[in-house]
Amino acid sequence: MIYTPFPMRVVSKRVEAPGVNTLKLEFVNQEDHEFFKANYHTGMFGLYGIYGEGESTFCVASPETRKDYIECTFRQSGRVTTTLANTDEGDIVTFRGPYGNRFPIEQFEGKNLLFIAGGIALPPTRSVIWSCLDQREKYKDVTIVYGARTVADLVYKHELEEWKQRDDVNLVLTVDPGGETPDWHDHVGFVPTVLEQAAPSPENTIAVLCGPPIMIKFTLAALEKLGFTAENVYTTLENRMKCGVGKCGRCNVGSVYICKEGPVFTAAEVQAMPQADL
Amino acid sequence: MTRILLKNKLDDCIAAWQKAGYSVLAPVQRHDMSSFDEVQKGSDMALDLILTERTIKDQFFPQTEPLIKYNISKKEIASETMTPPDKKRVFFGVRPCDASGLAIDDPLFGWDYKDDYWFKRRENSVIISIACTEADDFCMCTSVKLSPDSTKGADVMLRPLANGNGWQVDAVSDRGTALLESVSSLLEESSDEAAPVPQVAEKFDVEKVMEWLGDKENFESQFWKDISMRCIGCGSCTFLCPTCHCFDIQDEGDTYQGIRRKNWDSCSFALFTMHTSGHNPRNAQSTRWRQRIMHKFNYYRGKFGVNSCSGCGRCTRQCPVDMGITETLQAITNLPR
Repeated sequence: MIYTPFPMRVVSKRVEAPGVNTLKLEFVNQEDHEFFKANYHTGMFGLYGIYGEGESTFCVASPETRKDYIECTFRQSGRVTTTLANTDEGDIVTFRGPYGNRFPIEQFEGKNLLFIAGGIALPPTRSVIWSCLDQREKYKDVTIVYGARTVADLVYKHELEEWKQRDDVNLVLTVDPGGETPDWHDHVGFVPTVLEQAAPSPENTIAVLCGPPIMIKFTLAALEKLGFTAENVYTTLENRMKCGVGKCGRCNVGSVYICKEGPVFTAAEVQAMPQADL
Repeated sequence: MTRILLKNKLDDCIAAWQKAGYSVLAPVQRHDMSSFDEVQKGSDMALDLILTERTIKDQFFPQTEPLIKYNISKKEIASETMTPPDKKRVFFGVRPCDASGLAIDDPLFGWDYKDDYWFKRRENSVIISIACTEADDFCMCTSVKLSPDSTKGADVMLRPLANGNGWQVDAVSDRGTALLESVSSLLEESSDEAAPVPQVAEKFDVEKVMEWLGDKENFESQFWKDISMRCIGCGSCTFLCPTCHCFDIQDEGDTYQGIRRKNWDSCSFALFTMHTSGHNPRNAQSTRWRQRIMHKFNYYRGKFGVNSCSGCGRCTRQCPVDMGITETLQAITNLPR
C-alpha cells in the first residue's frame, strides 16, 4: 500500500556536529532493496520514521553510485529526529521513498563542477559530489566551497579531510567570522564572499548550490556576478511534507509540488516561482 | 418513454442490492447533522434535503484513516498495513455537486502514485446521483460550469418525477448499467415527466476569476489581505468541501502500540506548512486564503485540467464568519480591469 514504509536496520551512527547525526541504514528485506536500487538517483529524498513518533523528510545523503545502503544526515530538532538520533546499532527504523526528481548528472559530464554548500546543506550536495567523484573521469575540474557557522558545525569532517588530500578536488572551506578556532587555517568569511574571492570560471561549469534561504539568495547574486547563468545553477528546495507523493497538499510553491517536481531545481526555475511563497 | 423507479419499490430495490452484497448509503439526518450513512429502507433517507451538511467525500476519504498498526516490544517492532473494508456500496441520492467532487479528486489521488485507500473505495462503489429540484442562495454549481442535473461522477442518474411518485432512472456508466440490471424487474417504463431543475444564478464569472488569478502580478496584491481579514482560520470550509483533500500523517497511540493514521488537515492552519526551523512559507491567514483560492482555481486546473470546486456552496453556507469562497470570487469578478 502507498504509505507503507520499508523497515531499515541501523548499521552505524556517526555524530557529525553538535546535534547533527548520520545514520547508515540497510534494508531488512531483499525485495525492498531491489526496488531502491532500481529507482534511486542522486537528489531524491525519503521519509524516515519511527513507529510511535512519526516520519520526517530529508534527502538521501549517499550517492547513487553506492546503493548497498542509505545514509541520512539530520539535525536533531523535533520528536522524530530526536528519536532517530537516539537509536542504537541494530534498531529498526522505517523509510519511504525514494521520492522526487534527481540531479541530471549525466548532463554534467565533460563539464567543470562547482559545489557550494552551507551548514547542514552539505548532505544533499555530498550525494552529488560522491556520485561524480565515484566516476571522476567523466567530469573536469571539481571545486567544493563549503562553509558553516563555526568549525564545530562543519559536517562530514572526515570526508572534508579526504577531499582536501585529493589533488583532483579543489576544496575551499570557510567559517563565519567569529566561528574560527586558533588552529583553523582555512578561510574566515561568509560563503558568497569567499566564493567571489575564489572566483571559479563560469566557462563550461555547472554549479550545485544548497544552503539556507538567506545564503542561497546572496550566493546566487555572487554567482551572477561571476558570470554564471541561472540555467547552469542547480539547487534543492525543502518544504514541510507528509505524503511525499503529491497528495497531502502542503509542499507546493505556487503550482509546483516540491515532492514531485523537485526537490532539485535550476535557479531559473526557482526564480519563476512566486517568491512570496518560498 | 423512460424507465422509472417508483417510491413504493424503493425498499425492494434496497433489499435486492443488499442481497447482492451491497451496503446502501443515502442522505440521513441524525441529531443535528446530515450526512451519508447506511440505510435499511427508503424511510431512513432524507432525500428532501437540498444538500447534506457533510459531503460524500467522508465515505471515500474519511476524516481519519488507519494506515499501519504497530506494536513495539523490547525485542522487536511488529507492524501491519491496514486496508479499507472490502465492501461493495451503493450511494443513493447523491447531489450532482458531491458526485462531481469525487470525479474532480480522482486524478489527484491517481497521479503517478495511486492512493489505494481512495481507489479501493471508489472501485467498490456505485454512485446514484439525483438531479436537484430545489436550490438555495448558496448553491453555485452553474458558476463553475456544472449544473443541478450534471451527471459528472455519476453511474446512475435519477430525475425526480413531477408527480412526486418516484424517479426517472438512467445509467450513465457501465457500472451503473450493471447495477440497474440487477433490479430491472423493479423498474417500469413510463412517460411521466421529470420535475424541472431549479434556476441557479451564476454568482461569479469563473473565466474572469481564472484570468485574474493567472496574472502573476496579482499574487502579492493587497486584495488578499483585505478579502481575508475576517477569516479565523477554523478550517470548516476545507472539511466541508467535497474536493479538499489535504491530510496529515500522524502516529497515535502510547509507547507500545498505536496506529499510524492519515487525518484530514487544512491549508487554513498555520502549522500546515511550518518548517521545523520555525520558517513558515504561508505565515499569515491572508497567504493561506490565497493558497486555497489559487489551488482551487489556478494550480489544480494547471495540473489536472479542472477547477477543484464543484459549486456546492458549503464553504459559504457553513462559514462561522459568513465568508467562504463565493464572496472572494465575486470580488475578483468585480475588480476594475
